[in-house]
This record gives sequence, structure tokens and C-alpha cells, in this order.
Amino acid sequence: MTGEPVTLPVTLRVNGAERPVAAVAPWTTLLTVLRDELGLTGAKRGCNQGVCGACTVMIDGEPVRSCLSLALNCTGRDIVTVEGLAPAGALAPVQQALAEGNAVQCGFCTPGILISAHALLRRNAPLSVDEVRAGLSGNLCRCSGYKKIVEAIVRASEARP
Amino acid sequence: MEFVRPDSIEAAVAALQAEGAACLAGGATLVAMMNADLVAPERLVSLRDVAALREASRRPDGTVVIGAMRRHRETAEETDLRDGQRVLREAAAQIANPPVRNMGTIGGSCAFADPAADYPPALVAADARFALAGAEGRRTVPAGDFFRDWYETALEPGELIESVILPPAPAGTVGSYTKLARVAGDFAIASVALALGMDGGACTHLAVAVGACGPVPARRRDIEAELLGGPLGNAEIGRLTDALAEAFDPVDDVRASAGYRRRVAPRMVRQAIGEAMQKLGETQ
Repeated sequence: MTGEPVTLPVTLRVNGAERPVAAVAPWTTLLTVLRDELGLTGAKRGCNQGVCGACTVMIDGEPVRSCLSLALNCTGRDIVTVEGLAPAGALAPVQQALAEGNAVQCGFCTPGILISAHALLRRNAPLSVDEVRAGLSGNLCRCSGYKKIVEAIVRASEARP
Repeated sequence: MEFVRPDSIEAAVAALQAEGAACLAGGATLVAMMNADLVAPERLVSLRDVAALREASRRPDGTVVIGAMRRHRETAEETDLRDGQRVLREAAAQIANPPVRNMGTIGGSCAFADPAADYPPALVAADARFALAGAEGRRTVPAGDFFRDWYETALEPGELIESVILPPAPAGTVGSYTKLARVAGDFAIASVALALGMDGGACTHLAVAVGACGPVPARRRDIEAELLGGPLGNAEIGRLTDALAEAFDPVDDVRASAGYRRRVAPRMVRQAIGEAMQKLGETQ
């Protein structure tokens, strides 16, 4: 097999739009492309090791770590970041719930929490505290503000029609 | 560094023959290590487009074949894993957290072979085999021989894991995986993978593998064989845990001391067997 150029052009489908990027190196993560190339700075680079959860986005409807996803491996997939949870200027129910519950302290973990919670809320049933805690077990909050976050998500799950 | 995305096992094996080539599965381990500047493969062979690696199937005799690219979440929910094979479902369900379970694969985790990971003891207890593909052809390796040492497996350069193959578990056996960790989802301080069958107070099937207490899972098939056909009381379980302890070679690390692992692992084995016997409706 012959060597290929070190960088490749790539088009990613992000929040419903096709987003071309001119040159992506093999080691470049989806998180880096989102933040540094596409200006989508909602997903955060916390640990860059897949541990903290601040970079969590949805790929094909499932929460995953964008810091552990190589951008070249993400073509043909449906990527949703926190910016895509609701139309510009509007809030998704889960965002509304965290805002109303004052469930934000420094806010660094919030985009990842919102993605994990959004996926949890797609299960169409009220969630228990334990279910929410298990669902958010991959999202660390260094402010340790878990109580209000969990309560807000439980309330959001109960409020659905 | 170059990046290739073959769409068949044959093409993936061919791409792997280059010096410095590495498979990219779910990325949960390899990309984390790349981000930390610990590794920089000269060629990344993404297995994402190899559809055959993403499948799982159950044969009529109860054998279950799990493709190397099956993700932890899928294996945790795999209804084809029945009876004693369920040890693998329970192990998969306890790996890390939901987003990582949506990414990480059984092949990627096993190829990394962290002794504190959850699959190695579960696959050893399930008597699983690894199906490997390389330039020389295909071969299978028992899980007990696949895991060789710290982060070392039977994989040769240029070989990849195609699937793991679990033999049928006898009907009525139970499988369980118990992990002691600092927090849910962490790597194990110690773990116990178990498959057990009992009939009228006599042991009909017994497989116990202990994880995170040495470079490879500890298992004592010789003692298990001796215990078949008899009761599993305190004395019998004691014989097994004493023998397992001889196979331990634990280390001190950030999660626990070697001495703590030696103390806690035999108790975990005893507790796991007791709980399995309760599920089977047997008294100890």
C-alpha cells in the first residue's frame, strides 16, 4: 500500500450541516476540529483522555467522547454538539431544566452533561435519581454540583408529556 | 502518520503488514494514548468499515461469536449470551461509563490487555477463544493463552482480532462478574468472573477467574476439576481460593496495595460463589 498524504480533506455532518475542512491530520480528534476549525466551542477539552466527559457529543444519536474520536473516522456520521440541541436562541428542554434548577456553577462540564442528559431523556419514562446518576457517570463536575444537576434532570423527565 | 480505512478483513490484514501499523478500533485506548504522546503509529488502520467485525451471532449449538468491533454497550445487552456466558455481559456492563461503552470495543480492549480490565477474566472464565487473522492465515487461541503478561498478548505483528468465540454454557449454569473498584467504572482493584452449575447439591460446572491480581487472570482448572461432582462448602471453596492465591502475583498501584488485593480477592471469590448458589437455589 502506498503512503497517503499526511493530511486529508474531510467533510463532517455537524448539527445537520455539511462542514468541509480542508486539511485534517490523522491524529486530529473530532474535538479539535469542532473547536479549532468549525468554531463550535461548546464541547470542552478537559482531560483529553476520555475521562472527564466535558467533550461529550452525540454521534449517530449516541453520546461519545469527541476527544477519543479521530476526525477522519467520523465521515458519514451524524454529529450533534451542544450547539445543535435546539435552534439558535432557543433552549432544549434539558437546557431549560438545568437553567431553571440553577444547576450550573462554573459551567465547564455543562455541555457534556447536557449531551448525556439529552440522551437519557430520550427514554420515554420518568427517571429515578439512580438512573440519572448512572447515565451521568461519565461526566465529571469539578465544582461537585451534582445534586442540582441530577434533580433538574429528574424533574425534566417527569415533566414530559 | 497515514490513515487507511479498509472495508474487509483481508484488506485490513494487508494494510497491517507495514512497519509501525496499528489497528484503530473504538479509540477509547489508542486515541487517549496518542493524545498523551505515548504512541504515534506510522499507519492507522481503522476497522470502522469492516462490517464483518461488527456482528455477533449464536450458532445452533449455543456457541456465540462476537466480532472484535462489537462495543461494550452491545455486549452488555447481548441476549445471545445465555446461562454461564452471561459472565461476559456483566463484565461489559461494568466497563467505564455510558459514552465510553458506546465507543470501546471488545477487540480493542483485549488487544490492549490491561490486567485490571474487565474482559480478560470474564473470557478466561467463559473458556472463550480468540479468532485471529494475519498474513499467514487464521488461527484461534484460548483466552487463557491469549493474555500473556502485562499489556502483552499472543497477537503477532500484522495480526488482528477477528472475534471472540464463547462455547455453549451448560443449561442452568449461572455467570456473574463482580468488580471491586474505587468508584463505579474504574479499573478493578480485584474482580471475579464466575460460571457455576449445581445439581442436587453437587457441582456440575465451575470456572473462576480472578482479575487484577497479577499480569494475567488467575484460574485453577486443576482444582475446579477436582471439585466437580461434589458439594461446594466452606472447605471446598477454601481449597479453590488457596490454590488461586498461589497463582496471584499482584502489585501495589494507585488503586490498592498488593497485600490488600491478596486479602480481598479470596473473599470476593467466596462471596461470588455464595451469590451464584443462591441464584441457583442451592444452599452452601
